[in-house]
Amino acid sequence: MNERVQRVDRGVSSYVELKSNGGVCRPSGLLTQLSMYGYQQQGGHQFQQSAAGPQYQPPAGAPQQYGYQPQQQPQQQQQQQQYGQQYQQDQYGGQQQYGQQYQQDQYGGQQQQQQQQQQQQQQQQQQQSSYQEFIEAQENKEGVRFSWNVWPSNRIEATRMVVPVAATYTPLKKRDDLPPICYEPLKCTQMQCGAILNPLCQVDFRAKIWVCCFCFQRNPFPSSYASISEQSQPAELFSTFSTIEYTLMRQQNLPPIFLFVMDTCVDEEELGALRESITMSLSLMPATALVGLITFGRHVHVHVLAKEVMRKQYVFPGAKDQTAKTVQEYLGVGLRTTAQAQQMPGQAAPAPQPGQMNNRFLQPVQECEITLQDILADLRRDPWPVMTGKRSLRASGAALSIAIGLLEACYPNTGARILTFLGGACSYGPGMVVDDDLRKPIRSHHDIEKDNCQYMKKAIKFYEGLAKRVSDNGHIVDLYACALDQVGLHEMKYCANFTGGHMVLGDSFNSSLFRSTFQRVFARDEKNNLEMAFNATLEVKTSRELKIAGALGPCVSAHEKGPNVAEMEIGIGNTTKWKLCGLTPNTTMSIFFEVANQQGSDVPGGRGHVQFITRYQHSSGQTRIRVTTVARNWADAQTGQHSIALGFDQEAAAVLMARLAVHRSETDQDGTDVLRWVDRMLIRLCQKFGEFTPNDPNSYRFQDNFTMYPQFMFHLRRSQFLQVFNNSPDETSFYRCMLNRESVSECLTMIQPVLYSYSFSGLEAVMLDTSSIQPDRILLLDTFFLVLIFLGETMAAWKKQGYQEQEEYASFKELLQVPVDDAQDIIANRFPIPRYVETEQGGSQARFLLSKVNPSQTHNNAMYGGSAIPDPNSTDGGAPVLTDDVSLQVFMEHLKKLAVTTNA
Amino acid sequence: MFLWDWLTGVLGYLGVWRPRLRCAFLGLGGAGKTSLMALLAGEGWLKPTPLYQCSSEELSIGQIKFTTFDLGGHHQARRVWKDYFPAVDAIVFLIDAADRGRFAESKAELDSLLTDDQLSNVPIVILGNKIDVPGAASEDELRQYFGLFGQTTGKHKIPRNELPGRPLELFMCSVLKRQGYGEGFRWIANYIN
Repeated sequence: MNERVQRVDRGVSSYVELKSNGGVCRPSGLLTQLSMYGYQQQGGHQFQQSAAGPQYQPPAGAPQQYGYQPQQQPQQQQQQQQYGQQYQQDQYGGQQQYGQQYQQDQYGGQQQQQQQQQQQQQQQQQQQSSYQEFIEAQENKEGVRFSWNVWPSNRIEATRMVVPVAATYTPLKKRDDLPPICYEPLKCTQMQCGAILNPLCQVDFRAKIWVCCFCFQRNPFPSSYASISEQSQPAELFSTFSTIEYTLMRQQNLPPIFLFVMDTCVDEEELGALRESITMSLSLMPATALVGLITFGRHVHVHVLAKEVMRKQYVFPGAKDQTAKTVQEYLGVGLRTTAQAQQMPGQAAPAPQPGQMNNRFLQPVQECEITLQDILADLRRDPWPVMTGKRSLRASGAALSIAIGLLEACYPNTGARILTFLGGACSYGPGMVVDDDLRKPIRSHHDIEKDNCQYMKKAIKFYEGLAKRVSDNGHIVDLYACALDQVGLHEMKYCANFTGGHMVLGDSFNSSLFRSTFQRVFARDEKNNLEMAFNATLEVKTSRELKIAGALGPCVSAHEKGPNVAEMEIGIGNTTKWKLCGLTPNTTMSIFFEVANQQGSDVPGGRGHVQFITRYQHSSGQTRIRVTTVARNWADAQTGQHSIALGFDQEAAAVLMARLAVHRSETDQDGTDVLRWVDRMLIRLCQKFGEFTPNDPNSYRFQDNFTMYPQFMFHLRRSQFLQVFNNSPDETSFYRCMLNRESVSECLTMIQPVLYSYSFSGLEAVMLDTSSIQPDRILLLDTFFLVLIFLGETMAAWKKQGYQEQEEYASFKELLQVPVDDAQDIIANRFPIPRYVETEQGGSQARFLLSKVNPSQTHNNAMYGGSAIPDPNSTDGGAPVLTDDVSLQVFMEHLKKLAVTTNA
Repeated sequence: MFLWDWLTGVLGYLGVWRPRLRCAFLGLGGAGKTSLMALLAGEGWLKPTPLYQCSSEELSIGQIKFTTFDLGGHHQARRVWKDYFPAVDAIVFLIDAADRGRFAESKAELDSLLTDDQLSNVPIVILGNKIDVPGAASEDELRQYFGLFGQTTGKHKIPRNELPGRPLELFMCSVLKRQGYGEGFRWIANYIN
């Protein structure tokens, strides 16, 4: 069930898929398994070979290896060179090998053509599998994946490659082997550069100087580095630590702050469940954490948690939008800090001192737990009467605004989390998305398209403004929406998307889905720290030839312009720094680049560098800086075409393009246009990197590392990310929010769900196709948002007859249990918890599966003898799906036709 | 009032002004609500995922524009149905005629609709779907089971004021084969105010 198996499976299924010429190809179990093993073995073999091969040398890091003698200068240089080389080989050894092999390919023209082709294929496969290894190793080590691992050396060539040069970066990728470093990172002294010392920098140990690999500035080491030499290098120069984390000791440790904002316009059952969940979460927080409570219905109640004679609450009318200033005045908090904040807007306000920190509304959980539990226990539903035919009045917008104002006054630029629980749509006061008249239902996609929503634009403006304020303060807003109808996530999504807050969409606070999801918010790592980071920023440094076009992810621009900002903007651009606020170990950003080199000019050095600098507040209160520095080779546009193509990472590319497509549809508001854009990009990519004779669709052949990409695009087109029919705007917002922040492998699961088959012949990954639905199989479908177990017809019948209870059929019982266990494994590692469904052939919930599989057999061709797609394999089982959707086979044929057409 | 009716009638006849009918599609999960809506909305045959939240579409059949609310059919989602009652002029209730096992559940839901105060004057059309499936219940069987004999008000166009209660009628259809439901919609169109 690990990522790697998934990846391998996808490779196999698509490989088989595309080899088949048009018709449906259904790999038998044996074939799939064989090729799976083949694939894995090959990879392993290649890896071993390179590990034992002459080019490979063990990673640097053991200084004893260097026979350094400080008296002799020439030797020093030699050593240094060796170091550089070694590093290059270590990391990029794979690529150099490719280059050689490629040359052999080219110059081996005298051999017989067939042999050559065979050889070429073999070599390509080998290259491919080791590129896979390289990409995987990079992801594990640095958390970075590039769409292209070899970069074209000039701008025109880069734009012709269709998929932009871009990276996915997981800032808090879990690394157990990082050394604790408790000093400040060393920055390049050049004014506009400010990059951090890293293993790719050249170091002159004798002169105590390092050369920045971005701007080539020569920087002297400060006095603290005086004892530096080859034998004693600081950790940040070891090639194994190209990703490294600094802990700043001078910064003050601050406990995290949690502010609950609770909806009371829900029924008793829901309120009780919510109360339980919040009480439970108190025990999961660190004892020093500060907590606060705001409840709302028609009015907004801010509860005093300090130990006072009586319990008190401050009540605000829900109809009015309170500015930060009025909130502070009414509550009497943080006046001094605000005065300063107003002088220096944005980030300038200093962190408050511990002594003055505690105010009456935010108290350490160890001190106020009992008070808070009492308040929660006495909490009743909003008493404002609700007439029949009316909605309850719910001032979610005002409550959120007051919560933000409270934290803005007291704790700007400190790690804080506002946990918002919504049981329905905001129907009162600022930010209302619907009014209280039940005769007017909440907006649908259709209304949005027709521009027929009375409140939407105003509400969006309101929440967007709030979100900007929150992210300026460095706070996080979580939205936990549990209702049967929409709650207005479409308007409120900005609060979570700008601040990296969680977005959870459920039916009921009483469901196990919400309970366990909420519990996981407070998950801890092995060192017993909460797995969340606060107040984060991400800064990107690049070599001169590479410019930053923008980023996509749960972030806002920090408006820091620099010389390496690109002309073109992709996503959130015009900056080299973004504010992320909330981070989890899974949060994955995508950064888009632009190659700035003009045609004809050389790229110095042959390599381009990128550095990611993430500064965040760790949940223990420490300020930490994580630095990742990576490099990739440039390739000449004319001669290096082949190596550029080989460096294509189709999985990363698919995720990046999916995020771009979603971004386009969010900003353009026109779904059909985006589909056309996806198609156009796919066709252009196929034209550029396929092998074919013009105007002959049958001759079309993909390179091996492009084969899965069209399939991802096919599923993306059908997915809920781009198709809004049958989804509410809230659901669409939720799905898109998750796509925008999850890791590459999770995003791929969202785009193209994974299907496993369990039968007496064993476990295998099968194609996401109708033909995989067989009577004697149990299927496990994982779409990220949903985990489904599907019993084939025979399996369901056996289960119904109770064979699993009889002793002689213990193996059947086991077979039934295995997928359930695997499903639990998947669920245990995911946030938010996916829905879990067990169903069988013909069951009502089986539609989840049927809507995802590729409809290679439908009622048009299988059941009613239509002739849309001749399908020789359909006789041996599989379940036809009732749909008019186009199947992957048809899609691929059209794609090939369009790609080979010369004038397309 | 007379003048208004006359005016809208003339405008409707000329095709200038069309009445807008807001109608909810209800029924148990898997009865075919979303499929029917997809078909009417011109999306073609989709394989819909079960709905968790309400989705809404605009369609026009003949002279009439419909705003339809497709409400999820699974157990919890049915609680949200009542929130939409004030917003609708008509209800389309779908029954899966091939799933006899769930007739009882379906009948309970239909009965609660028929007894709801807010809906006492709302026309309801019941569509017995999936008659293409071999072994599906016949119209008489459905009438029998759901106790509709004597309750329904006839498939012909009978003026509203001559009816004893609300308009109610059962039509058999197959969404898959695109048969039968048109009749039901034409019938219900007669009763728009």
